[in-house]
Amino acid sequence: MGAQQTPNADSNQAGLSFLVGGDNVHVMVLKTQDLAQRNSIIDTVLKLSSLRNSYQTVYLAAPRLLGATIDASIFRAHGIGLLFFDERRIHEAVAPQPLQTTRPQLTPTPAQDPGLVSELATLKSMYFEMERNLTQLRDDLRNLHEAPRNGGFAPQLSQPPQEVPREPVYAPHITQGGPLPSYFTNNPWLEVLSKRGRSENEPLAG
Amino acid sequence: MSGDNYRSHYTFAMDFGTSDFKYGPITLGEKPRIVNNRGYFPDKSSVMYKAFEPTSDVIVGDDVPLYLQSAEDLSSRLIYPMRNGMIDKGDDQAWRVVSSLTSYSLDSFKPEPNNGFQGYYVVASLSSVSPRYMYERLLGLFQENNHGRIRAVTVIPQPFAVAIGHGVTTCVVIESGHGNSQVCPISKYPVRAAQVALNRGGGDANAITSEILKDTGYGDLANEEAVVRRVKENIGLVPGNLDNAIADAKKFPRKARAKYRVPGTRVEIDLEKDSWSRFLIGEYVFNPNHEIFESYFSRGMPRPKDVKMGDTTFRGMLDFGEAIIASVERCPVELQPMLYREVLLSGGNFSWIVPPKLQEIAVDAPTKVRLLLRDRGIKNVSVKMTSSPQFSVWHGCIIYGFAVPENYEWDWQRLEGWMRVSN
Repeated sequence: MGAQQTPNADSNQAGLSFLVGGDNVHVMVLKTQDLAQRNSIIDTVLKLSSLRNSYQTVYLAAPRLLGATIDASIFRAHGIGLLFFDERRIHEAVAPQPLQTTRPQLTPTPAQDPGLVSELATLKSMYFEMERNLTQLRDDLRNLHEAPRNGGFAPQLSQPPQEVPREPVYAPHITQGGPLPSYFTNNPWLEVLSKRGRSENEPLAG
Repeated sequence: MSGDNYRSHYTFAMDFGTSDFKYGPITLGEKPRIVNNRGYFPDKSSVMYKAFEPTSDVIVGDDVPLYLQSAEDLSSRLIYPMRNGMIDKGDDQAWRVVSSLTSYSLDSFKPEPNNGFQGYYVVASLSSVSPRYMYERLLGLFQENNHGRIRAVTVIPQPFAVAIGHGVTTCVVIESGHGNSQVCPISKYPVRAAQVALNRGGGDANAITSEILKDTGYGDLANEEAVVRRVKENIGLVPGNLDNAIADAKKFPRKARAKYRVPGTRVEIDLEKDSWSRFLIGEYVFNPNHEIFESYFSRGMPRPKDVKMGDTTFRGMLDFGEAIIASVERCPVELQPMLYREVLLSGGNFSWIVPPKLQEIAVDAPTKVRLLLRDRGIKNVSVKMTSSPQFSVWHGCIIYGFAVPENYEWDWQRLEGWMRVSN
């Protein structure tokens, strides 16, 4: 067979390990006396399953006596090989399925959306245009500030400033108001109510 | 805009709600001060009265709880003057409470002397169904209580103030309070001739909640008004369609289960298999005509009746959809589509919860009104809650006081304008 027995990576691990070609093979053996122990069969099978990541091929070797009670199709479904043995021979009832090494799938590069690319290009050109306008505006503003100093245009007041009448002094606890409350903002009633008394067709109370 | 610098400091608003009195000058900003709209006539032999010796024989504002005595005498001594939105002409006790509240509110914002203050521009707001004698009496109180605090005064109806506060010039406002509800179309002015009043409000929802508590074994709690109100607020729901909601709640009782523990107590209310009845509470407010309510009427729950108060008939059994239509159809046909496009709901009686897991069968107040109108063929409708339901009347009064020109004088025909108050 050309198989070479290898030492178990885990010394607690029962069974035999071989190197066949490039594949690691592990065989767990159920002995006749194991059959008397409760749960020993299921325990062995579960251990085998847990080894699927360490070995390409795994076998359960069981006494032929068990052949009548084990459903081979379950082993086949899970890729675990099944060997029966007695004093005279060993028989491979189920051939194992070598485990496929799973590799992380690379995310395919999304195809470039031509619409998206052209939209990005438009946005980029808009951004540059905006930056140019902003620079222009800054220059204009600077020139405007400098104009009076250089003898340029300066707005003249048509009338001398008038003295602002004195505001009444308000009690401290009611001068906190500041600007008008938010419900005044964009309220059309301010316009409507301010015209009270001017309209000819005011309705009378019903 | 007519508002001047003086009025941007000295406009004062008073909202006489059924339960709360909201007041204060424009400088308060977004929120007015609030006290209960009530007054207490203390027993002059009581220890508290002798200890504090109040100057007035009516206690209003934050001090009321200090004087409250046994529950038995509350009904005769603790007066809520506007419980139904109206005060009888001869109810002197109620008018004394109103007079004390106006003085109390103005005294709370007394400007310092010699600062240019020449009196407030006071805007008071009353229920839209208030008869003319209430205007006369209230304006008279301001004249009597002036003492240099008032420059001019006016009274406007609450739905009109709601529309102003919300910033909509053409709309229908439904104001629903504890005792009644008012539907009032607005088209730059309140269309008084088209008003519809309903003899139904939050108090009726309390009544059916109380009946449900009796039926489900909580009869001992059914007479405690504060508990009943909390139960209503916490388990009451408005169904989109009552029959469907009841069927669904009976089919999936766990989903619709109504359970409420009164905070700070061991009292827990669990309607269990009768949790479907939580939908009756909201339905009754909007539409008491479903046959299921007949069994409650036959067992003694009073049916909302049509009553005449002053010049107004308050309709008992009209659903909100019918009430809006009746009101709008009294307006010119040309105006009607514009009125349906802005229906504003205002007042605590429109605050209904919609639990996320019952979103398919329970709805909020605007949706319910929209459904009631749709059932009657009115489809192009926009129904909204006011942006600030609790304070929109006060906001509207402040804007009115700020914007209406000073020379727009009070007119008894129009029931609008400034009444000068002599010092």
